[in-house]
Amino acid sequence: MAFDKLIELVQVGDGQQVAAEVQKQLDAGNSAPTILNDGLIAAMDIVGEKMESEEMFIPEVLRSAKAMEQGLAVMKDELALDDVQASGKVVIGTVKGDLHDIGKNLVSMLLSSAGFEVIDAGINVAPDAFVAKVEETGANFLAMSALLTTTMPMMKQTIAELEQRGLRDRVKVIIGGAPVNQGYADELGADGYASDAGAAIKLAKSLRA
Amino acid sequence: MKDVRNASRIGRLQFLSDEQKRDIYLAALEIAGSIGMKVYHEEARRLLADAGAEVDGELVKMPRYLIEQARQSVPAVALIYDREGELAMELGGYNSYFGTGSDLMHTYDLETRERRDSVLEDVARAARLCDALPHMDFIMSSAHPTDVNPHHSYLLSFREMMRNSTKPLVMTAENAKDLRVMVEVATELRGGEEQLRQKPYFVVYNEPISPLEHPVESVEKLFLCADTGVPSIYSPAPLAGATAPITIAGHTAQGVAESLFGLVMHQLRRPGAPFLFGIGAAVLDMVTAQSSYNAPEYYQTYMCMVDMARWLDIPNWGYGGTSDSQLLDAQAGMEIAQLTFMAMMQGSNLNHDVGYLDFGLTGSLEEIVVVDEFVGMNRKLFQGVDVDRETMTVDTVREVGPGGHYMTTEHTYRHLRSAQWRPTVLNRYGYEKWEAEGSKDLREKAGDKARKLLAEHEPSALPENLSRVLDEKVNRFTDRVA
Ligand code: B12
Repeated sequence: MAFDKLIELVQVGDGQQVAAEVQKQLDAGNSAPTILNDGLIAAMDIVGEKMESEEMFIPEVLRSAKAMEQGLAVMKDELALDDVQASGKVVIGTVKGDLHDIGKNLVSMLLSSAGFEVIDAGINVAPDAFVAKVEETGANFLAMSALLTTTMPMMKQTIAELEQRGLRDRVKVIIGGAPVNQGYADELGADGYASDAGAAIKLAKSLRA
Repeated sequence: MKDVRNASRIGRLQFLSDEQKRDIYLAALEIAGSIGMKVYHEEARRLLADAGAEVDGELVKMPRYLIEQARQSVPAVALIYDREGELAMELGGYNSYFGTGSDLMHTYDLETRERRDSVLEDVARAARLCDALPHMDFIMSSAHPTDVNPHHSYLLSFREMMRNSTKPLVMTAENAKDLRVMVEVATELRGGEEQLRQKPYFVVYNEPISPLEHPVESVEKLFLCADTGVPSIYSPAPLAGATAPITIAGHTAQGVAESLFGLVMHQLRRPGAPFLFGIGAAVLDMVTAQSSYNAPEYYQTYMCMVDMARWLDIPNWGYGGTSDSQLLDAQAGMEIAQLTFMAMMQGSNLNHDVGYLDFGLTGSLEEIVVVDEFVGMNRKLFQGVDVDRETMTVDTVREVGPGGHYMTTEHTYRHLRSAQWRPTVLNRYGYEKWEAEGSKDLREKAGDKARKLLAEHEPSALPENLSRVLDEKVNRFTDRVA
């Protein structure tokens, strides 16, 4: 296959060489969308599988994602990047009163590696701040993280705030964090819940499709 | 008080050489002094600036002498008293004490043996069980009640703990507001602010956020402790590989810097106030993204932290009786034994999280019983060995002579009840007897013991007037805070 080397380089996570290989493929006459789909995205699919099967460690997955981005940058003129990513624009954050962000950051990094455009609103994000971010960026996903039972109700308030501003239909709301579960997501009327970062990516992809 | 002060009698485990400890300390000073940390509490920043720290916006760089000064003023020993005012723990040196952890979202139900959401009654049950267990020295909430308003949960838990046990407490709180109510109740209990300062009833668990951040709430609680003489823990939970370097020395150095940074704020606020140093040495599993409490790297950073605490001569906050397993199985047995033994071997002082499963998300009363037994067994070990004429007893050997036996000698009778430790849930039955007793495994036996203690043990009641004060203060808070 023409893209074997590219796929290998993305997995190894060598961004410079990925960029060079992408350039080589362009010079050889391959179209940017083909390189993207059959090269870079195909590579990240393999990376995702290897993460699932515990062959690759999370930091290695993140390195691959970064390498992929370096490859993408080479083609940014050829690809109307906005079109590629418009299918998934995520505002993510940890809810008000909650300072836990390790899980949120992981989900955020893996979402961008899966091709989503991610806007990280940080920690301690109040409902109106979440909604303002969604409005301002035109995001079609809102991802909320809560690690404390004291802060979980903020998810409900944020959804209410979305409804009030007439934005609820425009965004898919996904939630997670240690105390959160599917039952709670159903109760809130969230569009999805995931128990870990891998599941979060699958969930977001399935909702995007 | 459970007397565990036998430091000089046994060898200790050391993970770091003196030179390595100094190197880590110097790295911590470099982190605090040249990188600095974000302090979000305005008053704290002012206090630090006045004392000579370099303050630029929220970033504070800590000169070495402020840390040295705080090390001079912090007490090497913190004395903790029980509800009745008796000395319960002498924290410092190599004395090891054990107690439950806080805020578990799920609990294994003793009756159904199923995992379910925690409720307030679980806090009461765990406290009552620990009150009855001889080797649980202090009490944390164990469960985080999901059946009450979350903003009331810490205070309502405090009430249940106080009602169901006389043992001292370690508290978590949402912020300075609920913490203040707890301090007020403790002040009433002791009969005055000065009396509470003399005889602290509880310790507060406060945490900075790794890497290098000190949130407003944490510092507020830290200051409230300093002001009132309530001992404060200031222990970060840096996750190796995520919010701290992945290597042991880097994990330790950053954690030491974060805890000592808190020490400076605390000692500037009130020199001589009691403080506990610590690092929650969690390790991020790079495949499952769980934060392990039992990875070997966890044990390493934990033990390095205890080495540093002994070297700094500051009492430390530690861990024991915890497993990553999902249930009380062989993995749990192995992990709680290793962690708890290392804590004792190293002389880690105030060790919490007994009864934790599932990375700090699920609690088990059976596990608390098992750890209590394990600590008891090892307290026997750590008494050290008496070597004298009476214990070597050559005369008895002469009396018995070749081919005799010791079952009925005076010497055996003299020591019969004290020389051997007796298990309560570990199996010492032969096969037939074990089978006749129902072929029970450890979890079943621990469950039986927990149920029996909960049915039979009556904790000493809270005096009438105090009970009223407690209710009044808690109710006033729950009425006010929605
Ligand atoms: C590390 C930690 C801290 C650190 C946080 C550092 C940081 N930068 O985040 C510090 C020390 C600051 C901290 C503070 C506190 N903590 Co804390 N903390 C933890 C701990 C040990 C690990 C959390 C973690 O990072 N795990 C690793 C990450 C990768 O996992 P994760 O966050 O669960 O995320 C994964 C999934 O949940 C999911 N996910 C997460 N977010 C999202 C979002 C979406 C949209 C989706 C789809 C998926 C998803 O994917 C992630 C990746 O796989 C947990 C125990 C635990 N096992 O959860 C306690 C825990 C959450 N903390 C607890 C408590 C009580 C506190 C404090 C209140 C303690 C105190 N008294 O000061 C404070 C609160 C501070 C605040 N206001 O937020 C309790 C919560 C109890 C409860 N019922 O509310 C826990 C459960 C521990 C316990 N039993 O006591 N804590």
